[in-house]
Amino acid sequence: MARPRKRRVCVVGLDGVPHELLVRLAGAGVMPRVAEIIRGGGLRKMRAALPPVSSVSWSSFMTGANPGEHGIFGFTDLRPDSYELRFPLFSDLAAPPLWDRLAEAGRRSAIINQPATYPARPISGVLISGFVAPSLERSVWPPALLPALARMGYRIDVDTQRAGKEPGRLLDELEALLAARRRAAAHFWDQEPWDYFEVVVTGTDRLHHFLWPSVEDDGHPRYARAMAYYAQVDALVGEMWDRFHAGRPGGEEGQGFVMLSDHGFTAAAWELRLNAWLRERGYLTYQRDAPDSVADLAPGTRAFALDPGRIYLNVRGRFPGGCVEPEEAAGLAEEIAAGLGELTHQGEPVISHVLRREEIYRGPLADRSPDLVALGRPGYDLKGTTRSAEAIAPARLAGMHTWEDAFVWTRLPVPEGPEIADLAPAIVPWLLG
Amino acid sequence: MPRGFTLWFTGLPASGKSTLAARVSEILLERGMKVEVLDGDVVRQNLSQGLGYSKEDRDANIRRIGYVCHLLTRNDVVAIAAAISPYRAARDENRKLIGRFAEVYCECDLETLKERDPKGMYEKALRGEIANFTGVSDPYEPPLRPEVVVNTAREPVEESVEKIVRTLEQMGWVPPGDARGYSDEEAEAIQQRLRDLGYI
Repeated sequence: MARPRKRRVCVVGLDGVPHELLVRLAGAGVMPRVAEIIRGGGLRKMRAALPPVSSVSWSSFMTGANPGEHGIFGFTDLRPDSYELRFPLFSDLAAPPLWDRLAEAGRRSAIINQPATYPARPISGVLISGFVAPSLERSVWPPALLPALARMGYRIDVDTQRAGKEPGRLLDELEALLAARRRAAAHFWDQEPWDYFEVVVTGTDRLHHFLWPSVEDDGHPRYARAMAYYAQVDALVGEMWDRFHAGRPGGEEGQGFVMLSDHGFTAAAWELRLNAWLRERGYLTYQRDAPDSVADLAPGTRAFALDPGRIYLNVRGRFPGGCVEPEEAAGLAEEIAAGLGELTHQGEPVISHVLRREEIYRGPLADRSPDLVALGRPGYDLKGTTRSAEAIAPARLAGMHTWEDAFVWTRLPVPEGPEIADLAPAIVPWLLG
Repeated sequence: MPRGFTLWFTGLPASGKSTLAARVSEILLERGMKVEVLDGDVVRQNLSQGLGYSKEDRDANIRRIGYVCHLLTRNDVVAIAAAISPYRAARDENRKLIGRFAEVYCECDLETLKERDPKGMYEKALRGEIANFTGVSDPYEPPLRPEVVVNTAREPVEESVEKIVRTLEQMGWVPPGDARGYSDEEAEAIQQRLRDLGYI
């Protein structure tokens, strides 16, 4: 049961929901509860972390830190002294999540479906990990809660293998998943003593990846179902809002309630496969005809990419096959950035930004960061695959992530033009105040 | 850095102290710690033989258990005491003596205790056949600030055990369980999922 004498915070995360879409659905009556909440102000556009993928952005949310401090730069990274890919774990997070700082002050947290926290580790309270958790078994702290979650029909994610081929099934699964998430939220709200509560909806991101046009185009055959899904997301937000305010004076409305997304979304028409582009330009060669990953890079490769738009210079001393002299690196980075900036497709530029590491990353782990981070213009989704020789090809998925149009709704003091790492430094002192 | 501490279970008869103490001791042994359990029922047959159930005798019993826990703790052993220990002052005296001391309050309502009643003692006490029976005809003073409260009427044993071990981990007194990395199967599952979503 919540302790009313102390301040509390409730965070609702809507993964991959752009500011513009939230405003539109609120205005159109699809999300009436969100409309009520944002009517009085407090909704802002927010920048995601870079690159704008959930693992990086949520890590910045939970730590309030730059990736150069928390050490998570993507869903994949390279093993030390190797080009072999690995998937960073929660234990790779090098900065403390906000709930650990709250625990030091004796506060408890209940966190449901937090991406980038697998495997779950002990916290003061409850933690249920979200994407990329491959199984529920090690996603739950304390593990004793597993049977209760199983009874609720709780699952982490939809069947992504079938989602692209069977849109009707995807929507069924998204609804079932959201319903289970709501049951879990209600259960832990009542059963756990907490000061910080968080629930993240990741189905929104899945819907956008596979069926983005269904939220944009009212003529789309799945439009009505997509809107019905969003209405249920709205109901979850409303439920959390009502529970949070139950028994509190009206003057405190909204204090401590936070809604956010971790990145934006837009339609994807094309993919720019950066490794194929680097190969065309003579920066990269493979040892095999059918390279499986960057582990198949040939000696002499000067630059390579990891998903989504991370470009690494193959610098001597940094990578085992490094051949770029450190003093040449800055020049090479400029050359690649310029080449990407000039890249056009069907007469239009492909790239919106090419950012140098020193523009983005700071902190003790910044030397592990990519040298460049490129972002595509809307419609051009950047990829780090090595399995394609074609630099620009039709997009496989319907939607792509965007950087500058995530959203946050809060009454806490956050800087103008906030970025996602600004939230924890606002939440923690307020909660402990 | 000291590794010993005392984990003190307190609660009414049949509230689950011995069961939880045994489960927690297994987990701590698996984690490479040295552990000794001092169970109230067993202690009364040796260390405290001859003591009765007056307040004085009960306090003497708790002081004796506390002293042994103190010796074990300072020698890097985890001492787990499971004793009704009805009087707050005696428990607090042990806390002061030992220092690294965590108290677990096994909460349980009388109805559930009467249903459990493994030795038929509640039944006898309620019939007035046993004098000085804690919770019926003798007082019990619950701790004011225990490190852990478990409700053994509501929680399954494993949930209470997790709660206790988790608290000890957070206090830094018990090392975390497994290394919690990915297995090969998990890595494959993650890779597939990331491919499905176009990330790799």
